[in-house]
Amino acid sequence: MAKKGSETIIERFRSITENPQGYAKSLHEKGKLVAGYMCTHVPEEILYAAGIVPVRILSSHVSQAMTRSYIHETYCSFSHDCAYQGLVGNYDFLDLITTSSSCIHMGEAFNVWVRFAGFEGKHYLISYPHIIETKPAASFMEQSYEEFRKFLEAFTKKPITDEDIEKAIKVYNHTRGLLKRLWQLLRRENPPITGTDAATATLASQFMDKQEFNKLLEKLLKELEAAQGKGAPGVRLMVSGGACDDMAALNLIEDLDQKVNLVFLDSCTAARYFWFEIPEGRADKLAAIAEGYISRIPCPTKDNVPGTGEKKRLRFVQQFIEEFKPEGVVFMYQRFCSPQPHDFMALKPILAKLGVPSTDLELDTTLPVNQFRTQLEAFLEILKPVVPLE
Amino acid sequence: MAYTLKAWPEFKNYQNTCYRNYLFAPEGLRVMGSTWSVLAPLKGLGDDIYLLGGEPHAASLAGTLPEESRENILAAEGAGMGYHSCSYLKLFTGEVIRDKIGITDGTIKEGYPKPDLIWTTHLCNQHSKWYQEVSRRLGGVPFFPIDMIGGGNAEKDPKIVNYVSDQMEEGINWLQKVTGREFSDELFAKAVRNEIKVLVLWGNICALNRSVPAPLDERRLIALFPPAVVDRTTDECVRLYEMLFKEVKEMVRTGQSVAPDQRFRIVYFGIAHTYGHPEMARILRDVGAEIVASVYTFGTCGNFKGIVNGKWSWDPIDPAWVDNLDLSTRRKAVEELAKIVLGWPTWQGVRSWWALESMAHSMIDEFKADGLLLAPSRSCETDFRNGYVGLQRVFKGKIPTIEYDTDQVDVRQMDLPGAQRKTELFVHLMEAAKRRSA
Repeated sequence: MAKKGSETIIERFRSITENPQGYAKSLHEKGKLVAGYMCTHVPEEILYAAGIVPVRILSSHVSQAMTRSYIHETYCSFSHDCAYQGLVGNYDFLDLITTSSSCIHMGEAFNVWVRFAGFEGKHYLISYPHIIETKPAASFMEQSYEEFRKFLEAFTKKPITDEDIEKAIKVYNHTRGLLKRLWQLLRRENPPITGTDAATATLASQFMDKQEFNKLLEKLLKELEAAQGKGAPGVRLMVSGGACDDMAALNLIEDLDQKVNLVFLDSCTAARYFWFEIPEGRADKLAAIAEGYISRIPCPTKDNVPGTGEKKRLRFVQQFIEEFKPEGVVFMYQRFCSPQPHDFMALKPILAKLGVPSTDLELDTTLPVNQFRTQLEAFLEILKPVVPLE
Repeated sequence: MAYTLKAWPEFKNYQNTCYRNYLFAPEGLRVMGSTWSVLAPLKGLGDDIYLLGGEPHAASLAGTLPEESRENILAAEGAGMGYHSCSYLKLFTGEVIRDKIGITDGTIKEGYPKPDLIWTTHLCNQHSKWYQEVSRRLGGVPFFPIDMIGGGNAEKDPKIVNYVSDQMEEGINWLQKVTGREFSDELFAKAVRNEIKVLVLWGNICALNRSVPAPLDERRLIALFPPAVVDRTTDECVRLYEMLFKEVKEMVRTGQSVAPDQRFRIVYFGIAHTYGHPEMARILRDVGAEIVASVYTFGTCGNFKGIVNGKWSWDPIDPAWVDNLDLSTRRKAVEELAKIVLGWPTWQGVRSWWALESMAHSMIDEFKADGLLLAPSRSCETDFRNGYVGLQRVFKGKIPTIEYDTDQVDVRQMDLPGAQRKTELFVHLMEAAKRRSA
């Protein structure tokens, strides 16, 4: 039986998320310059304006012991896994590896690529503020972007004009707009797409040439926006956490005994990646990019408002709960990550006030399916309204 | 014969007095935050500012009151902090949770003294998160974090110096607003000069350990830098370090040492796990092996020449340079302070593996080391944990090297028998290397 167009597109996204290096290599073989990036604070727009396709480096979820002699065992499995991708040569063909100074764990994964995986002569570290909600941070970002722009001009041996950057901003904003529309579908009582599939498309966007991705997502949205959800609506759950690139974990949430709709994913591999815009048409393109990135849902490592110590991310989470109406929240974060549990300590009283229960799942390289299944099914029992005994 | 330091009682007294002032001051301002913060801006508010620095407080408490420390860490974990989170952070927050505080003279005060404000830095993933949580638990204490972006050679990068200076100036405006006090640029400039002077003096004292025998051992180095971390802005603190510098110079001139049996000289990269495990130091002491240089004791609150012609130098800075610094405007004072703090050795490797390696190479050469001891701290986010794994790979084959896991204040995190056995093997490795080169 012929598959529907939407299914074909989702399958295409899925195949790319399952073999991103294969996709990136195919771009390279077509003669495109390809750069790996290790953190979503890297301004992809500047790379794109330079004619380089940015491809995010994420986990392979391979159980391995190789990286323990390069990175301490108490660094998160995500950083180990990303370092592993470099050490085993999965991305040897890349023209460049970049990151921004953000999470220390991922910084070490980057160092491993540079020192021990053959990228010493083709890397760039973008100096980036650790507290972004200040005036000096914006100015610092602009200067760092200017240095990055100059580096890329020397690297590609061609100038990057303001027009190039404006075009890239528009392409990326279009991607963000499309992804927002995709996730807005999950606000429906009975969404026409699963949360896992929406997350798969979002993840694919981080590997793909944005123009190619945009065309596919436009087609997908056209079909989905007119479609109805299948079967009865399930229990609505939201996931909040760090890098959640293990689609098997999300799939598990939507494959429990009771029907579940994963309605929102607050993660740097999902909403935090695209839930913002870069102002278009500004005279100072780099200032515009800085403004856009500052307006993102903050990563917990950078979220601290001077004066009050407020965590802005908590406001966003509250907003998403109000809009997407989850009945429960699953905190999902990498084992050994400290900033995430710190946020959750502050979030739990807020959730309690909103009457939304939560549970925690700690991610590692591989997925403890049975343990998580038991924990999630117990969580669903908690969410069920208590029926008084007769 | 082992030399007995004359300066020691005054150092101990200074530390105790600072902590007692924070606990019992009837008026003035109580301020907490990372000890890795620039402190002089606070002193522009007056002489009645009492400081509690997170890291030295946690470290000294672990040494003074180990049982309390354990309970504090457990309380923090019970409240939701990860087993792997910074143990300084957990110990400190645990006191807030348990509503009691202990200090170096053994005092335990019931009822946690709430700070008037929090003034701190952000460097690793947890650094300012620490005080966000403390502020939240204490009902929202006014809070100003400064992003010390760090990285190798940061103090020579005008972009970074300006960034940190701009934040500091914003912070000074905030301090005035939140305290309602007028900011005195005169007091500020004086505190800046003192702060820089102490950092430079401590660098000079540490650099004297290049002598054979090294005048100070790791135990004394650990014990002698707390005044610099607790409050380095005062005239009294400058006086203490000038006195110590004079005394240690005299020790070098006369060939004396607090630990004269130095058959093996060791360079140490790690946080002082000897707070929790003095028995580790004893293994080395018994065979005449001494740690004569460590990035933690030298570089947490000390400055050196740093990167010179692309290579790290542990040469000290001339203290007279500080006397001639132009601090005539607030901006000039702020920039000098930013530069000195950004030059701290402990920050170089947080973002720059190459700077960490350069520091290690130079320390091994300049301090004539027979061995390199790497002790990554399991709960520390910075290069105190991870950079050292890379260092072992780099130095293996060049100099006898061992690595074992420790933790700054959480004794549960250390495999003590394993580390002891490794240390014994380390001594054999150094012995064998000496025989080979003889």
